[in-house]
Amino acid sequence: MQQAEAESGVMASKLLKKNMPPAAATKLGYTPPDGGWGWAVVLGAFISIGFSYAFPKSLTIYFKEIQEYFSVSYSQIAWVSSVMLASMYAAGPVSSILVNRYGSRPVVMVGGVMVCTGMVLASFGKSIVHLYLCVGVIGGFGLAFNLQPALTIIGTYFQVKRPMANGLAMTGSPVVLFTLAPLNQFLFDSFGWRGSFLILGAIVLNCCVAGSLMRPVNKTAGQKPKTEPAECNGAAAEEAATADTGAQSDNLLTEENQSEGRSQGCVHRFIDVSLFRHRGFLIYLTGNVVMFFGFFAPVVFLAPYAKHQGIDEYSAAFLLSIFALVDMFIRPTTGFLGNSKWIRPRIQYFFSFAVSYNGVCHLLCPLASGYTGLVVYAVFFGLAFGMVSALLFEVLMDLVGSHRFSSAVGLVTIIECGPVLLGPPLSGALVDIFGDYKYMYYACGVFMLVPGIFFFIMHYFNYKRLDEEKRQSMAAEMRTCEETVQLKMSQDEKADG
Amino acid sequence: MTASWKQLFFQILLLVFCRHINTKTPGPTPPPLVADSPLPTDVRSAILKGESHTEKVEVVNPVNLTLECTWAGNRDKQPNITGLWRKDGEEIENSLLMVQLENEQYNLRRVFNIVNEESLGNYSCLFGNEARIDFVLAAPHIGEVRDKPIVGYVGDTAVILCKMEESKPKPSTWNWYRTNGTNKEQILTAAEPHRYKIVNEGEKTKLLVHNLTEADSGSYYCAAVYPIGTTMGHVELKVITFFEPLKPFLAILVEVIILVAAILLYERSRSKKNYAAGNETNDQSNTLTQGENNESEGSSSMRQRKV
Repeated sequence: MQQAEAESGVMASKLLKKNMPPAAATKLGYTPPDGGWGWAVVLGAFISIGFSYAFPKSLTIYFKEIQEYFSVSYSQIAWVSSVMLASMYAAGPVSSILVNRYGSRPVVMVGGVMVCTGMVLASFGKSIVHLYLCVGVIGGFGLAFNLQPALTIIGTYFQVKRPMANGLAMTGSPVVLFTLAPLNQFLFDSFGWRGSFLILGAIVLNCCVAGSLMRPVNKTAGQKPKTEPAECNGAAAEEAATADTGAQSDNLLTEENQSEGRSQGCVHRFIDVSLFRHRGFLIYLTGNVVMFFGFFAPVVFLAPYAKHQGIDEYSAAFLLSIFALVDMFIRPTTGFLGNSKWIRPRIQYFFSFAVSYNGVCHLLCPLASGYTGLVVYAVFFGLAFGMVSALLFEVLMDLVGSHRFSSAVGLVTIIECGPVLLGPPLSGALVDIFGDYKYMYYACGVFMLVPGIFFFIMHYFNYKRLDEEKRQSMAAEMRTCEETVQLKMSQDEKADG
Repeated sequence: MTASWKQLFFQILLLVFCRHINTKTPGPTPPPLVADSPLPTDVRSAILKGESHTEKVEVVNPVNLTLECTWAGNRDKQPNITGLWRKDGEEIENSLLMVQLENEQYNLRRVFNIVNEESLGNYSCLFGNEARIDFVLAAPHIGEVRDKPIVGYVGDTAVILCKMEESKPKPSTWNWYRTNGTNKEQILTAAEPHRYKIVNEGEKTKLLVHNLTEADSGSYYCAAVYPIGTTMGHVELKVITFFEPLKPFLAILVEVIILVAAILLYERSRSKKNYAAGNETNDQSNTLTQGENNESEGSSSMRQRKV
């Protein structure tokens, strides 16, 4: 008996010494490489994400000429951008289903071909509706097929260095925008809008190159050793497996388990709606829906606000360049900071801080006077925007885990579709009603500060609950460990006696 | 008898001179010297502070325009200085005067009949050889016109737009011209209705050229017609075939195909190498893994029972 107690004590201490699993249980079943080909995948994701976000924004250069060509009003032509953005967000779940089924690589390559086809067809367009369909719908779907898989595959390749990888991949958006803007102007001057659309179709085909880099991760190499309780059980089970009665019930139970696994697999193959019962996911979703109302509008109105203050057109455009440059450099930095050992375990607080900081920035904007004030605002806003963007998907991965991320991001994007589309027109309406930009900035500030504070509070409780659950599961496993050891001891005794 | 004639003569002379002097006083708009014409009147004045000054004057309708120049003079303020008017660099006849210094200022004023396009130009008032103020009289300048060439495609339609700023007066009508060698030929839609179409909307005008051919490339001029004259805007049209953008398109397509093929082939060769190397180690580890599998099956069933 004393021997048994001593053995169980040794087992328990061995258990405690092992490393604690990270905040969200990964249950991946393999060790992500955290490097090697992963960095090539980050490059592929960089390109895909860059095109997804920057492409709709960069098309606005052609709008004036297309508007004259088809003799339509400005709002009709602006719909092209809106339809593209709406399709990109609405196709999120479709993209998730396809990624769950086929993996990232085929989906990205199909997406690239789709956008190319859309742009080539659009270059032959004879009416504005033709453009809505080709650029808006087909192009938008193609970009959605680029965005989701790119985000998902980072989660499969990285675990320890994931915030860094996410930060680097999200830097694609400002970098591609920075390159596309002057390139689009050059194409327009050389080839007019039709030729430009044709060539842009070819340029966007580089997403297929990005897709080819997204090699599915090797799940057999570096098998993670079974989790600690299994180890503990394994030692005892060596003995128990010999018992006959045990074997029969084993078979029955394993069959049950298999059928259960198959039905769950069916759902998982399409989309994981059980996420709506996931606490962290719900927090993220509610906060984000409110936040997106005020997220993009200040970017859209930065140049018009500057011109309203009496600043000339070139200086106003320069403000946007400053904003984009700061954004470009802060995203990898945020990824690096998010990876540090102080922030990683509590990365949700970092995200809440970033969102609240955004809100404060906008609330203080009306105080900025003159061009220097606006430059300072552009710098701080660039910092805020970059921080939120870099962490946006990292925190979702952190909450739901990499294996459910694909479905999560699909659901999130389709629900965010509404605020993203309504945000800028609502802000525009505010500006028109009051004739002054400051009310719009106050509104955007509030729309970002409230979710920020909401995130802080909710994640405080969420972390507490997660820690408690972890402790409970650890205690439960310790108990089962002790029990199996005791069972083994009693069986030995029976055998002896 | 002679004395009274002399008196009359002197009186007349005095009258003439006095009248001349009287009109030099600075002040609010005096009645125009050129009398009884139905044209409206307008005044433009400029004060010279440095060496020279240019004032732009927009003229839309025929007008009797009074131009006033005021100069503070230089350090040695002479009591008299010559005043002169020039149009487009050439001296206007009978415009040379002696200007008196009044209230530390020299003043020049003259009324001009601006009736047609020839009357427009660069009017300058000169004080001696030192100071000059230029008045540039012109019809309103066209605000929005594309300075870079517009690109059109063969068989497609080209839309050329000219727009006057909202704040400026609207032209009576718009005309379009096209250079044929050195001449400007007016584009008449009546002559070729299926090729050209002009849409005039007040301050905007659009020229639509259908069924473009390469011969349509060249300079086009939109002319805003005002009662006083016309202002021209210049737009260049370049017509290219669809093969022009097709070349970069194909080049980039080839580049993409090459990269994708390279990456996939590299991966295929790597996995073949791994497979060949892995086969040897697989046989060794197979026995081990089998043992592990048995263990794990047993342990999972154990867990089932407990949970």
